[in-house]
Amino acid sequence: MKRKLYYIFLFFLALRLPRTMTQAEIKLCSLLLQEHFGEIVEKIGVHLIRTGSQPLRVIVHDTGTSPDQVKKALCVLIQHNLVIYQVHKRGVVEYEAQCSHMLRMLRYPRYIYTTKTLYSDTGELIVEELLLNGKMTMSAVVKKVADRLTETMEDGKTMDYAEVSNTFVRLADTHFVQRCPVVPATEDSDSGPPPPAPTLVINEKDMYVVPKLNLIGKGKRRRSSDEDAAGEPKAKRPKQSTDNKEPIPDDGIYWQANLDRFHQHFRDQAIVSAVANRMDQTSSEIVRTMLRMSEITTPSSAPFTQPLSSNEIFRSLPVGYNISKQVLDQYLTLLADDPLEFVGKSGDSGGGMYVINLHKALASLATATLESVVQERFGSRCARIFRLVLQKKHLEQKQVEDFAMIPAKEAKDMLYKMLSENFISLQEIPKTPDHAPSRTFYLYTVNVLSAARMLLHRCYKSIANLIERRQFETKENKRLLEKSQRVEAIIASMQATGAEAAQLQEIEEMITAPERQQLETLKRNVNKLDASEIQVDETIFLLESYIESTMKRP
Amino acid sequence: MAGNKGRGRAAYTFNIEAVGFSRGEKLPDVVLKPPPVFPDTDYKPVPLKTGEGEDYMLALKQELRETMKRMPYFIEPPEEKQDIERYSKRCMKVYKEEWIPDWRRFPREMMPRKKCKKAGPKSKKEKATGQGTALTSTADVLKKIEELEKRGDGEKSDEENEEREGSKEKGKDGDDEDDEEAAEQEYDEEEQEEENDYINSYFDNGDDFGVDSDDNMDEATY
Repeated sequence: MKRKLYYIFLFFLALRLPRTMTQAEIKLCSLLLQEHFGEIVEKIGVHLIRTGSQPLRVIVHDTGTSPDQVKKALCVLIQHNLVIYQVHKRGVVEYEAQCSHMLRMLRYPRYIYTTKTLYSDTGELIVEELLLNGKMTMSAVVKKVADRLTETMEDGKTMDYAEVSNTFVRLADTHFVQRCPVVPATEDSDSGPPPPAPTLVINEKDMYVVPKLNLIGKGKRRRSSDEDAAGEPKAKRPKQSTDNKEPIPDDGIYWQANLDRFHQHFRDQAIVSAVANRMDQTSSEIVRTMLRMSEITTPSSAPFTQPLSSNEIFRSLPVGYNISKQVLDQYLTLLADDPLEFVGKSGDSGGGMYVINLHKALASLATATLESVVQERFGSRCARIFRLVLQKKHLEQKQVEDFAMIPAKEAKDMLYKMLSENFISLQEIPKTPDHAPSRTFYLYTVNVLSAARMLLHRCYKSIANLIERRQFETKENKRLLEKSQRVEAIIASMQATGAEAAQLQEIEEMITAPERQQLETLKRNVNKLDASEIQVDETIFLLESYIESTMKRP
Repeated sequence: MAGNKGRGRAAYTFNIEAVGFSRGEKLPDVVLKPPPVFPDTDYKPVPLKTGEGEDYMLALKQELRETMKRMPYFIEPPEEKQDIERYSKRCMKVYKEEWIPDWRRFPREMMPRKKCKKAGPKSKKEKATGQGTALTSTADVLKKIEELEKRGDGEKSDEENEEREGSKEKGKDGDDEDDEEAAEQEYDEEEQEEENDYINSYFDNGDDFGVDSDDNMDEATY
């Protein structure tokens, strides 16, 4: 049954129709939208996922939500690139959900943390602001980040706009942030009524061009008087603080995080660490160098990088590495000969031309994931059988028992277990045209692509379960959590006004010992569930990258 | 068919040994209910990865969750009316910055419709002329005549006419819009009435004079 689903999926792909989403994906998108944007946005978003492209009227009618709410929700979704719009015939604008973009929300912490490792706190906050707001102008980002960094600095110190701008430029140069498509400048304003929706365009060349801005200023610390406004209408303050009189120099030029570039980085990381695990540190450094050299030149969906000569690689090795040219050549030969085929030799000029086989590397990583899952779910003997069938491609029942050196009964049991969970499939080869069972070969085989899809589907389900459980745990203890928050707020305000230790003790005792225990348990559970979500997302990334690489093959 | 070993004798068409059990062997019982929801697993999951990166990402994730709730993009569901308005609710309300989208990048229909009266007649006039010939129904005509009688002020009645026509057009679009228009219509009428300083019944055009009988002359007039 699941295989039929995959075939239908492939059929739709061939027709280049938007993919029908599986129930698991829709459920996961629903949970993510709800957590990030609230129930109303979730309702509209999920409706669009289920129904495909729809105009505003129909959305209002079908969801039974007021037009105002629908418009607000759609604006939020469009701003965050989760819904796109298209103008159809007779001026009707239709809205379509981007389910895959919604699933990316799971990965936001990873994007932000990665930027931190590459460009430190400044870069981290830039990417965080871009992800939280969907798109922003450079001037807005720089100002916001400078303010935030100033908050964390010691009294009297402020963050200069120039430093933040520099980091921004570096992010743009390495393609981690990119320009959004812009509204085309209308030359002829009298050419009839304006279109119902703008058609946004972007020129490839302009995507990473940073506008020449002269941003001068320093970050502002949020004054403590602002924080006292518990009962005062604070809504007025933000409007006053933004200088509406100053013209924004880069008005209309918006930036967004370039998720594909991050994915390329993650993929490179995975390949490098795989090589390090399989061989040694030096080989992994060589592979890292090769990948770095191909970063901008090779598109991320290419099956292999541009050929690099051994001389070039030698010149580009990091400064600390003192290996001689011969040693480098030996390493490259070893890498090229490795059965995993991460590195391939494509010619002999320039001391040997080498490429990194990206698709093969991803396939190996996906296969390794499958093997690991089989091992952890069914045991190491099952894993042995699985690896055996993978290696030999097609095996009969008897052959499996012989090669794996496992008794017949157990081998059968394991094979059937894996078969029932769709890790292994049966291939029928009839000897006679009537397909009689007694005269048909039944061969066990592993179809890596379909097993990967199955596993990916399970991952989506897993994360949905994890999120639901976490929400349940939080809801169960809602009263206690609120109480603890109030107590903390009281303690904080008392400390600010200089209370005695005895008074603070008294307030703290408002939470009894068993309640404290309960809170500890809750915190531990929520942390575990959150950490699990992050880790499952790593697996999802690997599987999605592999499946994507098989689809884009020309 | 050929291959039948004899009448009534059951025979498998394939080697039964290959499947894994022999003839006559006791097979496991038929399963009559769905498998358990949380079965015991033989193999427990591997412990989670730990490390600086993982800890940081965890903290980041939880922080982001809280931050998102405070952003203007998080649309709160409309709250049900509570019986007693709690003071604490008012204190704990988080004031969010309002987000105004860059309307140049969004479809025009996304913009919230302006309800202010000044913009009203203009846009409605546009619509009225844009839509072409106005709808005429008997109800409309009667209302027209009524209005003309009441006022004598041609300008205002025209305006009101166009508003009515425009609103009738719009009324076709959606039920919710009718409410808006009805409210506006009512409002318009009230305003129209209030614009006059004079009470409608003040003007006495003399038709009533002499209608009342002069018989009751008992009471003297002072």
